[in-house]
Amino acid sequence: MTVPDQVTQSEEIMPMLMGPKVGKTRAGNIAINVGLYIVAFAAAFLLVSILILATTTTSPWDVMHALYTGSVSGWAAIGLTLEQATPILIVAIGVVIANRAGTFTIGPQGQFLMGGLVAGFVMFKFGLPVPVALPLCLVGGAIGGAIWAGIAALLRYTRGVDVIISTLLLNFVALELVDFCLNKIFLLQENVPTSPKPPQSAQLTTGERLPRIGHLPGFSVTSGVLIAIALTVAVAFVLARTKWGFRVRMLGLNPTAAQAAGVSMALFGGGALILSGAFAGLAGGVWFAGIGLRLTPGFEGGLGGEGLLVALIARRSVIATVPIAIFFGMLHSGGGYLATTGVPTNIVDIIRGLVVLAAIMPPVILHVWDNRRSLRVARRSAQRAVAGADLVEVAA
Amino acid sequence: MSDATSSTIATGKPSGFPVVPAVEMRGIIKRFGSTVACDRVDLVVQRGEIHGLLGQNGAGKSTLMKVLTGLLTPDAGVISIDGVPRIVKDPHAASKLGIAMVHQHFSVIEALTVWENVVLGEKGRLDEAATIKSVRAISERYGLDVDPTAKIATLTAGQRQRVEIIKCLRRDPSIVILDEPTSVLTLAESEELFSTLRYVVRDENRAVVLISHKLDEILNATDQVCIMRSGLVVAQLETAATDARSLAREMVGREVSLRGEAVALGLIQEAEEIAVEAADAVATPAGDVALRIDDVTVKGPGGVRLLDHLDLEIRQGEILGLAGVEGNGQVTLANVLSSLTDVDSGTVEVAGRAVRAGKAGAMARAGVAVIPEDRHAAGCVLDMSVAENLVLDDLDRVSNGRLVSSSKIRENAIRLIQQFDIMCPSPDTPMRFLSGGNQQRVVLARQISRNPKVLVAAQPTHGLDVGAVEYMTEQLRRVADEGVAVLLISTELEEILALSDRIAVINEGRIMGTLDRQEADLDRIGLMMGGQEL
Repeated sequence: MTVPDQVTQSEEIMPMLMGPKVGKTRAGNIAINVGLYIVAFAAAFLLVSILILATTTTSPWDVMHALYTGSVSGWAAIGLTLEQATPILIVAIGVVIANRAGTFTIGPQGQFLMGGLVAGFVMFKFGLPVPVALPLCLVGGAIGGAIWAGIAALLRYTRGVDVIISTLLLNFVALELVDFCLNKIFLLQENVPTSPKPPQSAQLTTGERLPRIGHLPGFSVTSGVLIAIALTVAVAFVLARTKWGFRVRMLGLNPTAAQAAGVSMALFGGGALILSGAFAGLAGGVWFAGIGLRLTPGFEGGLGGEGLLVALIARRSVIATVPIAIFFGMLHSGGGYLATTGVPTNIVDIIRGLVVLAAIMPPVILHVWDNRRSLRVARRSAQRAVAGADLVEVAA
Repeated sequence: MSDATSSTIATGKPSGFPVVPAVEMRGIIKRFGSTVACDRVDLVVQRGEIHGLLGQNGAGKSTLMKVLTGLLTPDAGVISIDGVPRIVKDPHAASKLGIAMVHQHFSVIEALTVWENVVLGEKGRLDEAATIKSVRAISERYGLDVDPTAKIATLTAGQRQRVEIIKCLRRDPSIVILDEPTSVLTLAESEELFSTLRYVVRDENRAVVLISHKLDEILNATDQVCIMRSGLVVAQLETAATDARSLAREMVGREVSLRGEAVALGLIQEAEEIAVEAADAVATPAGDVALRIDDVTVKGPGGVRLLDHLDLEIRQGEILGLAGVEGNGQVTLANVLSSLTDVDSGTVEVAGRAVRAGKAGAMARAGVAVIPEDRHAAGCVLDMSVAENLVLDDLDRVSNGRLVSSSKIRENAIRLIQQFDIMCPSPDTPMRFLSGGNQQRVVLARQISRNPKVLVAAQPTHGLDVGAVEYMTEQLRRVADEGVAVLLISTELEEILALSDRIAVINEGRIMGTLDRQEADLDRIGLMMGGQEL
């Protein structure tokens, strides 16, 4: 019946991945830290360049230029970047909440899918007028994601099932469920006269979509961006200033002390997990109603996983998720442009992977260095002493 | 080259020639950040002697031994084993050099049997029959009675320690280090252990280092004693030529007079005398029952009863000392009272009202404050600031509605830091950077400032220096005088005897009996701790 015994693997992994425990608040250390990051990113850049040279006919410069052109070279590109960053950002702030509570989830993919799926049902099957249906589809998306995460929370706090395992497996269930719904006319499959009918939903008509801000060829972006910004501000405030945020932080940093102080793991840990699911689900809804406009098998397309990575790099900071999510958005928009130049867009995936590695490696390296250095110092001083002892023996 | 020297020394040792010490540590320095745990420490241990390493908690004893066993690498200094300078890179290297340590906390695996634990970590094929035989042989030779085929989970703390010692001796070490070995033993078990050590030293010519902060133990069991104080060796004495008082003086650095200090140092008689006076003088008026634990049973993994139909009553204004050997249910009891563990049966009442055990924070809300044994685990959040740690379980006091007010947190912190004399650079300093004593004060300040009905202090002086111990005991007394019911859980009998109005003894999760302070004596309590009901 003892609660502290139930510390799961995920909670042990957390500090390793998330804990910024390197800095000893010394200026020298900060310099080393910054230097390490520069080296890590330079190494990533070098590797990417080599890969481009080895596998494509273009130069690394051309690839970088294409990425730049597609992502920030003009108002249209910037709009596209922000739009691509929107679902990633919404997922990421949800994951930050879960991480703060000490829960390591990998379920955003499935929750995103479930959110999009519920949003699809609301838009296509409820027959509501658009002004009602649109907000309801976003709320429904959030609920869909929350329920999906809720299953993991329930399994964790009633049966002790590890959250990493349950959220991972629920991702596959969600994928299949979406597939199923998109293959049945009476569910979400689009009823087109062709045969066989493609496994996809109908497309939202212009009037059914989330309103857009601005017009192409200028700056144009889905109003989902505003939702993402509002949520970021709200979550940053709630985590920093409210009793709930304080308790969630306490739970993440020391579950035992939190339990003694009245922060129930099930209530707050489970709550944070469900909330992160709601955010991923909402991201699915926003993506569907503002960006994707149609559900296809696996429509999540890695966005949930990218949100997870953004949160991983941001450690536990909500604010840090914003620039990182925008960078990920840039890789999407720039990558889209790159594809038109004939370069395989897999390059973009490799860039993303290396950048993530470069961002999370320095703390690990510092830790290893620290251990090595103390051993080396000890060995040297011992050897010096041994040499002295030998002399004494000879003299004797 | 070094090996050659060592063999000549080992074989050709003419009598009358100065004996090569088994361990010679010279100028050992070990720093942790800005604190120097060992400062140019010299230690020489001869074969055939039990060498006591005496010092308060935090004096550097354990650090020094960790350096010797390769768990820590020194910043400077040289270690010679049998006259040969060596680099002890890691524990593996230490064991090759014949150094073995029996740690304070056991490293046995409960689900495995004794013989399985003994071979754990050895290379090669498992040979059950041979191992059991060798365990039996060692048991007999040293009088360490234990059944090699028994599961560890079924053994008492004393038996588990025997397993550790067997494990250690089976590797035939020439140098044996014991870290505070008696903290988990009854008085009788301690005596047995020391007679075993005598045999190991006298008849087998091994060297033994005994780490302890208990004076009587050092006086009874050792030949030589090395006294450490804040990282320095302050005295090297022949045990026979010294007495408790001078040992205490060296250990503390001044004459010992205060009650708290006597308690901390284990000057039992003196503590007892003072305590009797104190108990007579105070003669606490019996208040209402503040905490009633009624027939509580908690089952652990595998159905072991961690608490077994435990009954306990504490009245307002009294200090009830719960004595017992470590690992007899004290931790579970403290966990129940911290809402960390649910009960399988029985009830806990605070001021006459039943409290749901295991519900997060329920005990705290009902008025039970706990100073946990492991403050890092349950008492504080190391990565939060001092100010935040002072309000962990009492957020409402510093909030406006749902919002936490940072200015109120700060005000509260400044007030408590002053009132409880907490040494910290600023209220915003992370808890991690405070010393153990100050971390303990933060926990104490938070708990007392909530005006609790019941204060549970679990090993409250563990790991603190004498000054901090004194402060803590004074606070407990003061809180009790103000009408709070205090449950003092301690494995240090001296502490219990000096502070308690009544004394209960716990053994294997059961209360063996409760005595008034006046009728309590060491022999009776010792017997009860060993499991004899009165």
